[in-house]
Amino acid sequence: MEKVLTLSEAISKYVHSGDNICFGGFTTNRKPYAAAREILRQGLTDFIVYAGPAGGDWDMMIGEGRVKAYINCYTADSGVTNVSRRYRKAYEEGKLIMEDYSQDAVMMMLHAASLGLPFLPVRLMMGSSLVDMWGISKEVRKTIPKLPEDKFVYIDNPFNPGEKVVALPVPKLDTAIIHVQKAAPDGTCSIEGDEFHDVDIAVAAKNVIVTCEELVSNEQIRLDPTKNSIPPFCVSAVVHAPFGAHPSQCYNYYDYDNPMLKEYGEASKTEEDFKAFVDKYVYGPKTHEDYLDLVGASRLVGLYNVPGYGYATKELKK
Amino acid sequence: MADYTNYTNKEMQAVTIAKVIENGQIVIVGTGLPLIGASLAKRVFAPGCQLIVESGLMDCSPIEVPRSVGDNRFMAHCAVQWPNVRFIGFEANEWLHDNDRLIAFIGGAQIDPYGNVNSTSIGDYHHPKTRFTGSGGANGIATFANTVIMMQHEKRRFMDKIDYITSPGYIDGPDGRAKMGLPTNRGPQMVVTDRGIMKFDEKTKRMYLAGYYPTSSPEDVIEHTGFEIDVSRAVALDAPDPEVIRMIREEIDPGQAFIQVPKD
Repeated sequence: MEKVLTLSEAISKYVHSGDNICFGGFTTNRKPYAAAREILRQGLTDFIVYAGPAGGDWDMMIGEGRVKAYINCYTADSGVTNVSRRYRKAYEEGKLIMEDYSQDAVMMMLHAASLGLPFLPVRLMMGSSLVDMWGISKEVRKTIPKLPEDKFVYIDNPFNPGEKVVALPVPKLDTAIIHVQKAAPDGTCSIEGDEFHDVDIAVAAKNVIVTCEELVSNEQIRLDPTKNSIPPFCVSAVVHAPFGAHPSQCYNYYDYDNPMLKEYGEASKTEEDFKAFVDKYVYGPKTHEDYLDLVGASRLVGLYNVPGYGYATKELKK
Repeated sequence: MADYTNYTNKEMQAVTIAKVIENGQIVIVGTGLPLIGASLAKRVFAPGCQLIVESGLMDCSPIEVPRSVGDNRFMAHCAVQWPNVRFIGFEANEWLHDNDRLIAFIGGAQIDPYGNVNSTSIGDYHHPKTRFTGSGGANGIATFANTVIMMQHEKRRFMDKIDYITSPGYIDGPDGRAKMGLPTNRGPQMVVTDRGIMKFDEKTKRMYLAGYYPTSSPEDVIEHTGFEIDVSRAVALDAPDPEVIRMIREEIDPGQAFIQVPKD
């Protein structure tokens, strides 16, 4: 089945306001930025967000007021900002409803979702404020139907009575969006480098949008199935979006655009500068292709990874 | 000829970290100082150590300094690129198998006498004065692995009671971890600051000063610690070897990504 759509078609068909949603990638690596910018352009909002290790992707969404509830473990463009500024501001001012879990907990909750488990027992978070403090109270949770009523519950290990463990809810994802190096029209995906939690959310979510650096034929991607990690039937839409992770990095393809991440980090310090940034880079360009034109070809090719390194090393230019 | 005797407290901290690491250990690193320290350990003090990161990258040997634990610079040249859940499972299994190979570095904004660390927020949790990134992998690490905690040594950070426990230490004393259902044979081993090394008393599990830098003193540590701290066991630590400082500046972090070289 042919699943190739334009970015605009894929987002309007498979992302809905109010969805339980999760993005792939890790802070500044393989974040589906092109899709995030298109979601902003289409005005979609009220998301229940299962943010894995997030960065500017979710910081922008929060800054634009699109997040109804934020399930989080980490938000920063690590190495660029110590904490994402719109996220910090929104929470400090009481404008963001959020729940803290440890990163391990979030990653295992998403993995549990991929396994179809009813709940998830862990030894994590005990003895910490992650269990003592609830960001979203039971009362508030009852008003958000897509959130479980409890952050967690303590249970007794049925196989070792007396041992207390933490039972975590398993998210029911409506939508997952991931950016990969190669995808075929039928939805088969090949991820190079660390897959992070991307395969888990691709299996768990009802609708999965894949943006890709290279669109390759169904025959080509099957030449070496050991390199593939997502089968066709887990994917709803395939979008060809070269540099779709920009300004984050993409293993074997391009590095992060550190000046751009810095520009965002600076701009996001104030509401005015943040608005100017998103007006310029998100709402200004009408399509992903317009965005690439705006950023500029020489800037983008300057980010190309050096074969054998996996990033844009300066070593060879010495 | 560059001067390598003008070491900074940050460099002293990095060298101190490097000396903690032993051959054969598997070191959970993040970025920043621990990465510089671990890279130094791999070159000089414990070449047989292996570095892993919470994003799932195993036995890393980055050529350029990575800025994040998911950086392509960590990914390239590592042994295995596991998804993050495999790292989590590995960490737990090291404890289940009673292996004692893991040592981990975590940081924080506040710490109490029992090594409980806050890296989540300052002030009231719901209306914080300052909100940080979130816990990242630190909670799981503090649950299952022995840790070395990196801190800036200031009175407002070394507190009797911290605002939020992100990473559990010994909770409130010797039985603290058992009461909470945490692995009892794990916990903080040491706190490395810009003034010295704190360890934890075997009986009380309370922090004491074990060593201070040439630029510091027991009195200085008392002055900058917000709770009562025993300094009776403290020893003076040696200044770092200039060759080691040269290595940090010229080979490990030449771009000064994490350690600034003092200006002449």
